[in-house]
Amino acid sequence: MRRLQTRFVLLFLIAIYSRVLLARDLQALPEFLRSDPFGAIVAPDRSGADLASSLYGAKHQVVLTGCRGGYVSFHLVVKLPSPSTYTLDVTIPDPTNKVQIDLFREWFHFTDSDKRYYPDALIPVHATYISRLPEPDNRITKQTAQAFWVDVYVASDTRLGIFSGTAKLKANSKITTLPIQLTVLACVIPGEDVVTIDHNSYGSSWLAQQFAGSYRRDPDQWFESNQFFELIHAYHRVFYEHRGIFHQLGYGHSGKVGPEFAPVLEGSGRAKHITSWSLYDRHYGPLLDGTAFSASRRVPRPIPFVYLPINPEWPASYEFWGERGYEAEFVNVVSEMERHFREKGWTHTNFEVFFNHKKRYKGFPWDGDEVRFPKDLKYFLEYDRLLKKALPPNTPVHFVFRADVSWDMEEQFKVLNGIVRLWCCGGGILSFYRHAPKMLCDRGDVVWYYGGPPGVTDSSSAITEFPLRAWLWGVNGYVHWLTVSPGEDPWFHFDGGQTALIYSGERFGVSEPIPSIRLKIQRNCLQDLALLDSLKRRKSLDSLRARAARSYNNSTLDDWWNSRPALADLPSDQWLGSAIDDATKHTHQALEHPGASAWYNVHQYAMSLQAEAK
Amino acid sequence: MKTVSLMGIFMFAILGIAKLSPEEAPSRMQKELDIAARVGSAMVDGDLCQKIVTQRARELMFARDPGDRFLAGDNYDVDDVAFNTVKKTLIRLSHLSSFPADVNLWMPIEGHPGRIQLVIRNKNEMSQFWNWGELYGDMVPEMETVLKTGQRVTVTDKPGWISVLAPVYNSLGDVVGLIETVSQVKMDAHENVK
Repeated sequence: MRRLQTRFVLLFLIAIYSRVLLARDLQALPEFLRSDPFGAIVAPDRSGADLASSLYGAKHQVVLTGCRGGYVSFHLVVKLPSPSTYTLDVTIPDPTNKVQIDLFREWFHFTDSDKRYYPDALIPVHATYISRLPEPDNRITKQTAQAFWVDVYVASDTRLGIFSGTAKLKANSKITTLPIQLTVLACVIPGEDVVTIDHNSYGSSWLAQQFAGSYRRDPDQWFESNQFFELIHAYHRVFYEHRGIFHQLGYGHSGKVGPEFAPVLEGSGRAKHITSWSLYDRHYGPLLDGTAFSASRRVPRPIPFVYLPINPEWPASYEFWGERGYEAEFVNVVSEMERHFREKGWTHTNFEVFFNHKKRYKGFPWDGDEVRFPKDLKYFLEYDRLLKKALPPNTPVHFVFRADVSWDMEEQFKVLNGIVRLWCCGGGILSFYRHAPKMLCDRGDVVWYYGGPPGVTDSSSAITEFPLRAWLWGVNGYVHWLTVSPGEDPWFHFDGGQTALIYSGERFGVSEPIPSIRLKIQRNCLQDLALLDSLKRRKSLDSLRARAARSYNNSTLDDWWNSRPALADLPSDQWLGSAIDDATKHTHQALEHPGASAWYNVHQYAMSLQAEAK
Repeated sequence: MKTVSLMGIFMFAILGIAKLSPEEAPSRMQKELDIAARVGSAMVDGDLCQKIVTQRARELMFARDPGDRFLAGDNYDVDDVAFNTVKKTLIRLSHLSSFPADVNLWMPIEGHPGRIQLVIRNKNEMSQFWNWGELYGDMVPEMETVLKTGQRVTVTDKPGWISVLAPVYNSLGDVVGLIETVSQVKMDAHENVK
């Protein structure tokens, strides 16, 4: 009996040992370590290489821990030294279906700038994925590794405790099994975010380019087709699912309005009026009543913000600027819009009156965007007058005057006090004015700042800097100025992705946009920020922020601000662009290149607080 | 007499064939754009046009600073009164066509022969010559002809596009700029909505 026991233990140990060896074919990596197609960590993430084993428990199982109402994510990397077919199967069985797995194949983009491969686009695949290495469509001849992004969704009403699952790889007649252990904590990630992350875009023509197959099937009618509007809704949906919002500006710098962004107008002067809401309502109806999000894992709700088509050339013709006819056209049409929105019950969205034009684009003689010359502000005052005339004083519809400000923001905060209620500020210049967020928020204004996404050649944590900064600064949000433009050939000649956080899925038979690793990391960061902020009743917000900053990159809260430079006392039309760069040097140096583990450390801090709370 | 002629031209444009067959569209469009261009030469005030771009903008238009790549654009400024007055005239000129058309203002740049800048664009965002976003560009030979000779020139180089270039005069009788009356046989409702 004893010999049998010894033999059994020996066999068991051999089995475990084999599993460990075999598990080299299948590696789990934390979300911040991206693999290249040859199994190495991409260069920008190597500063976090010490995290490589952080997912593994003592028994070589993948150990995941998460709160409810959100996601836990990691990479799985299949490594095969020679070309071979394989099957990957990832499961965490849960009869109640509260724990769900979303598996994505990571596309390896070849970037022209450094002639390297980076994973970013995430192609949704079934939890059982069958393919071969090298992956045929990615066309990397010596590819030996294929990475997968695993999202484990934990519903907010999941039972507490441990869930067991596996990642199983079948290749070359071998089966490699990697046990997965998910611990679901009591904490629930708040559904509301503490910072709004906006993903901006311009017009719709890019949709026809990125979904060219769909467009070519019916080019004459496509922009009025159900596919077109469903595609727009899908863009809103994918950003919403990733705790973000989406904006599409519907007019150009000279006032040309895309048909789906505005009701149809007819007439002139006092006779100008709306004749059709057809395209507008098909576009915005499901977004403004929230039904576009009915299948979401998050609570469906109307989009919180939307651009209006209002610009100097719409609804009033600029031909009549400064005349009674301009006022009549503007007031009549905007009044009709207010009435339509009210009758539809679209009272949960902020309808933004926003001027994006710049005089350098030759449409109008004043800057609506990033005013530099103070003389331009008189146009804002006039539009405020017109708007007040158009809207009933107690309308339940939220029209909000938005201004995107940089050079002249300090002056605009004063001159446009009570007029502009949504400020979208250039991050560099806002960093001079530490008092501004509180001053603006205290008077009820909404404050965002803007910038652009980091490229795939930056460290994986780089994208977390923007939400973190917004939270540390005490502003309400952050705008990625362009997020849907991955370049002409993102698949084989990638420009790095500094204007894209999302890709067309058409290449992969998906009729919707597909997300990216950067978008996923940003979402997970927002989950952590929501968790951290929810603890402000137990710890002061300042102490939470200070500790998060220190965890992130060993910075202090002061490092996130610049001192007010001398140039700030000059009229903004006398500033030099190069002087602004000098004035923001401090933050540039203090916050340069967060390592790949930067957000991992903040996440650990957030989770340790949850453990304390327990 | 001049008033009667102008009224006649207006009436022709307004009563012109509204729906054109694909074959006849380009030639009829060209005629209407030519009429608008001709009227524009008479109506657009060249002295006012010369006041639009500020001295500061002109001085820095070609300035280069490796530490400030937006130097020229960030300093681009206009006299808004002059701009608005001329723009309103251009918009009214565009109404002379029975189809959507724009009338753009182009001005040569003093001290920079061979270069030209678009000064005013309009709501259909059409131009056969403007590369989106540029402050100034190379002058095409047809523009040079207009500026040198005062003749109107029709350009149909880009497929589906029709532009008529016509001179703008100041009070000294000098050709100081040109207008581009422009349209497309098939409009793209989504182009340049950005």
